[in-house]
Amino acid sequence: MSIVYDEAQQAIASESRRILDARMESARLLALLERTGEFDRVFWSTAVEQGWTALAFPEEHGGLGLGLVELGIVAQATGAATAGAPFQTSNYGAGHILLASGQADLVGQWLPRLASGEATAAVAFAEGNAPLPPRPGCAFAGGRLAGAKPGVASALAADIAVVWCLHEGRPALALAELAGVSRRAVDSFDNGRLYADLGFDGTQARLLVAGEAASELARDALARMAVVTAHEQLGGAEALMFIARDYANTRRAFGQPIGAFQSVKHRIAELYTLVEIARANCIHAASREGRPDFLSAAAAARLSATEAYDTAARDTVQIHGGIGVTWEGGLHLHMRRARSLAIEQGNALFWEDLLVDELAGAAA
Amino acid sequence: MNDLDAYRAAARDWLRSQLPAFGREAQAGLSELDHLALGKRYQRAKFDAGYAGINWDPEFGGQGLSPLHKVIFEQEEMACGMPSGYYGVSLGISVPVVMKFAQDRAWAKERVLAALKGDEIWCQLFSEPSGGSDLAGARTKAEPDGNGWKLNGQKLWTTYAQFSDYGVILARNDPTVPKHKGLTFFWLDMHAPGVTVRPIKLAAGDNHVNEVFFDDVKLTDGQRLSPVGGGFGTAMATLMIERYSASDPAGFGPALDLFIDLARNSEVNGRPAIEDGRIRSAIARTYAMRSGLEAITTRAMRMMAAGMEPGPEGSLNKLVSVRSRQKLSELAIDLMGNVGLAWDVHASGKDDWVASWLAAPTGRIAGGADEMLLNTIAERILGLPQDHRPDKGVPFNQIPA
Ligand SMILES: Cc1cc2nc3c(=O)[nH]c(=O)nc-3n(C[C@H](O)[C@H](O)[C@H](O)COP(=O)(O)OP(=O)(O)OC[C@H]3O[C@@H](n4cnc5c(N)ncnc54)[C@H](O)[C@@H]3O)c2cc1C
Repeated sequence: MSIVYDEAQQAIASESRRILDARMESARLLALLERTGEFDRVFWSTAVEQGWTALAFPEEHGGLGLGLVELGIVAQATGAATAGAPFQTSNYGAGHILLASGQADLVGQWLPRLASGEATAAVAFAEGNAPLPPRPGCAFAGGRLAGAKPGVASALAADIAVVWCLHEGRPALALAELAGVSRRAVDSFDNGRLYADLGFDGTQARLLVAGEAASELARDALARMAVVTAHEQLGGAEALMFIARDYANTRRAFGQPIGAFQSVKHRIAELYTLVEIARANCIHAASREGRPDFLSAAAAARLSATEAYDTAARDTVQIHGGIGVTWEGGLHLHMRRARSLAIEQGNALFWEDLLVDELAGAAA
Repeated sequence: MNDLDAYRAAARDWLRSQLPAFGREAQAGLSELDHLALGKRYQRAKFDAGYAGINWDPEFGGQGLSPLHKVIFEQEEMACGMPSGYYGVSLGISVPVVMKFAQDRAWAKERVLAALKGDEIWCQLFSEPSGGSDLAGARTKAEPDGNGWKLNGQKLWTTYAQFSDYGVILARNDPTVPKHKGLTFFWLDMHAPGVTVRPIKLAAGDNHVNEVFFDDVKLTDGQRLSPVGGGFGTAMATLMIERYSASDPAGFGPALDLFIDLARNSEVNGRPAIEDGRIRSAIARTYAMRSGLEAITTRAMRMMAAGMEPGPEGSLNKLVSVRSRQKLSELAIDLMGNVGLAWDVHASGKDDWVASWLAAPTGRIAGGADEMLLNTIAERILGLPQDHRPDKGVPFNQIPA
């Protein structure tokens, strides 16, 4: 089961791609790599202006009332351009959790501002290499949060964070404002993602959900963010495939285009197979939000998109020879983004296990 | 203990004694120029201790030992992480050519000695913007000029050209004959008028390769290292002079022990990573591959010790080890998760997974791209046919660009 993009969705796809093509410059993105605490403001103001920040939120909270399919389409364009600010994904995840928590005052306070892009949010689930540790080390008690969250995307600039924590011995989700929270900038290989080590030290926070409901909501939100990220990975992988194709058609060696050598030609054709499987899985997963098979669909999208982007990065660089590894050539923007996105929302090992648990559980 | 074991033990002792002055800690935090200066002092220390030009002619300042002794020393040196990189191309590729082919023998002796002492560095100017794999497609022009030659054109990717005093270069003297036949091999003073060197920043942030421009650079005919038009053959032959060198089964990335440590100290979804089937499989397969490469090297060394010619399987080390290191580094970053997003620009690819992953693509391209190594195995070792090559036998200036 899947969907075919309708006309409105196709328009979002071509328009988002057109705008990002016009506005993204690799020189600006390269400069961001060497600075911490900065993100691409041109992208973010574009996202605000185009209403991308509001896309997947309900109209009564300032959103456009569309869904994961449309957000995924924009994320694909973002990925193709190695554009983006990490809030594109984390704002959506945090907003979704706030809405699902049913806490009307917080929804009223934050949703319209997230939708307008005026406020930004981080989602602090992971600890170490665990995207969603069953017993998080971060603790919530008496209205306060304590504990550490390493390498949280968006966290260097976000106003608020949704934090996966332990409350009275059970997992919970809490909302904290980050203004007074210790944020140590992580000098990263992809600095525009605004990674910070967050240290909560009796930070005032609001409990959103606790117990089994929190676990379910966190998994659902993580899967939703993973689907957005998978679209971004898909966009990046597809862009690389075309970059490789174009280069193989023009670069000559031994009197002919290098694309005439089967080892080069087949490498690019293999990328096509990975990209199309990732695309089909991404579109399918986005269309299954809220359905019982959403987790498996999200895992399939995430796994195939991670493989496609990592492989496309390796192979496209290889096909370029020396030009592929220069700073100015900029292919490493994709190579770095492929890896940072492979980690954000949980590595492949996590999604493989989750998928097998879903499948085996269903079979049992 | 036989001779070779004793040689290894002595080399190891000497290297250990040099660690405080030159090892990883001594290198940490140095500026580019200070690191180069340290590398030069280290080369001088090697020379003084009899570890430079180990298998070279004593007449040229060498030690007159076998290639095997050289490989043994390199193996021990590699394990110590010494700052020997500045001399890799110089002493591994370029200077042996000068030693073998330079016309003025007294001059050659001076240069070789200065290079062994580390005072002078040589680069290799083969690849160009129009191509690296297709070496015989070089376009840089050498035109007759009075009694000598005049050089115009551009080279690219020249390792350490910015620190080099001399270089060896392949240039086209005749574009009207098929590409292999119109090339001549020269040496060149990198400080000569008309030579411009511009460093290129690589994706991992380092600047060790360069573009080099030639604008009417004058060469005497005495700088010719090959017959006129015979440069390609000489260039190929020179690549064979130092064909035995220590290889690194880790593909110049971190040792497998470091991956095992990481797996011991991490969890995958609540279970120890070292018990995870995927991680165990990666460790086991990497081990099997690397131990195979090590055994190939050991066997080759035994054959050399017995006076036999090692088999061609020695050529697969770089191909197999570097691409595997690239994927293992990705898996290590996966294992570290959010913590693996951090990157220290100064970290070494020998002990840091992110640094190893970022630099791995250069290893799969420099010194022959993976695809070219596979072609060599297929065509030279296995006797498979070449791809169709439309430039074959066609005069260089009639190859469609
Ligand atoms: C870090 C670094 C250091 C270097 N140092 C030096 C140096 O000191 N001196 C020097 O002269 N050069 C040096 N090089 C250049 C290096 O040798 C070339 O980059 C390499 O040979 C590839 O050439 P290229 O970059 O022009 O790629 P191309 O030759 O354009 O190749 C592009 C792609 O096409 C593929 N391809 C080409 N021909 C074939 C074929 N027949 N069959 C199948 N696939 C094919 C290649 O494998 C590659 O994937 C260095 C390169 C790097 C990255």
